[in-house]
Amino acid sequence: MHLSPVLFLNIGLMAMLIVVAIAVVRMRSLFAIVMLQGVYSLLSAVWFVSLDAVDVAFTEAAVGAGVSTVLMLGAMLLTDRDVKPIATKQKLGPLLVVIVTGVAMFYAIGDMPAYGDGMSPANAYIGAEYIEATKREIFLPNVVTAVLASYRGYDTFGETVVIFMAGLGVLLLLGLNGNAGQWRAKPNGRNIAKNVTPPRKHIEEAEEKPKVKKTRKAAKPRVRKKS
Amino acid sequence: MNPHVILRVVAKMLIPLIALFAFYVQFHGDFGPGGGFQAGVIFASSIILYALIFGMAAAKKAMPPSWVRIGMSLGVLLYGGTGVATWLLGGNFLDYTRFAPESTHAAGQHWGIFSVELGVLCTVACAMLAIFYAFGSRVQDLSDEDW
Amino acid sequence: MTLEIIQLVVSGAFLISGVFFVLAGAVGVLRLPDFYTRMHAAGMTDTLGAEFIIFGLMVQAGFTQTSLKLFLIAFLLFLTSPTASHAVADAAHHAGLKPLLGKFRAPNPAEVKANKVEKH
Repeated sequence: MHLSPVLFLNIGLMAMLIVVAIAVVRMRSLFAIVMLQGVYSLLSAVWFVSLDAVDVAFTEAAVGAGVSTVLMLGAMLLTDRDVKPIATKQKLGPLLVVIVTGVAMFYAIGDMPAYGDGMSPANAYIGAEYIEATKREIFLPNVVTAVLASYRGYDTFGETVVIFMAGLGVLLLLGLNGNAGQWRAKPNGRNIAKNVTPPRKHIEEAEEKPKVKKTRKAAKPRVRKKS
Repeated sequence: MNPHVILRVVAKMLIPLIALFAFYVQFHGDFGPGGGFQAGVIFASSIILYALIFGMAAAKKAMPPSWVRIGMSLGVLLYGGTGVATWLLGGNFLDYTRFAPESTHAAGQHWGIFSVELGVLCTVACAMLAIFYAFGSRVQDLSDEDW
Repeated sequence: MTLEIIQLVVSGAFLISGVFFVLAGAVGVLRLPDFYTRMHAAGMTDTLGAEFIIFGLMVQAGFTQTSLKLFLIAFLLFLTSPTASHAVADAAHHAGLKPLLGKFRAPNPAEVKANKVEKH
């Protein structure tokens, strides 16, 4: 077997990914979990670079490690800081699903083409055509951009609409301005976010105000003015 | 003195660089790795960094929510509008060669890709900011002691 | 020819010193007793080690566009790495994490001054 430094790098990165994944599963603190997910994204970005998928790595580093960590932190601040322990019985079903999927994937490894195989389905038919035609038809050095924006323009249009819908959905559910810290998550009437929104003076005042005034205020979207 | 003075000074230096890098990624996407998606996320992260360090109110003054709302839909419209424009010029949907049919080096394709990527940039950046604003505005600004 | 040898030697020296600092940082993170000392090992040596490695790569790239990009990365790391260390340490301090203290206590400046005055 051919032992190259890249092989050792890949094995090392995979080992680190597994360690981080197990740590995420075993952790209790949500803050640490969010941070570890950022670490996981960065590691997989490095791994993508070593597989020569620079565009994917770039996206993973920007989206997975950058923005989604911040968004998860923002979501975490609205809920609890710790994971509630789950009974062992409830874990059995998910464990079964994971084991079956894992075994199926390991079974499928045998059918995977070798890395960089020129005759694999991904490289042989339409991929080779795109690579060859980009030089002739689009005159762009980056084939990925040519495929993404021109040959597969419909797909990218769909992806853009998906992102638009995601933003739209969040806007419809939560609103752009929130209501400036007066909101608390109360599923089934339980105040699960007790430690999240420590009572501050202006909030206490706002809650003590008579009800008529409050509804009038709620009707107007509250934009926090500059202090 | 403000306890976060170092963070603020460094962030003031970094935020323009991050925004500039976003546009580099956007317009260099034809030649190297990058494109509208990555550039949009990087641009959004520059505003998010501003919001994290200077507070949500300041970020909303720099990038008002109304811009976010408009930009999100404007990007999709720009993408779809490019396709409609190729229709009007007599081609298929998103057939960019119609922009410059006689060009020998596929200038039409370049214009089409440029405009489409600009639409993607708009939508992605504004959608990320919208999600961040929606989550971030619900939490009141935490002071250091609350953690 | 001689220029290439000089380039190789200089970049090699930079890379080796960079690796030394990164390894020192790694050993420090594993061996040092508490959060602040580990932070010190990770933050300081990581900044220096990464800078050395990037400068070594810059020397190897010569006067090219790659070199310029590497310089920009080095500049960005020079700004962000110490700031990140500062932010993390500051957050820990605010959260009330006490540093692990040994037997040695730094003398109080006011007392030192008073002693000196008495001696004179």
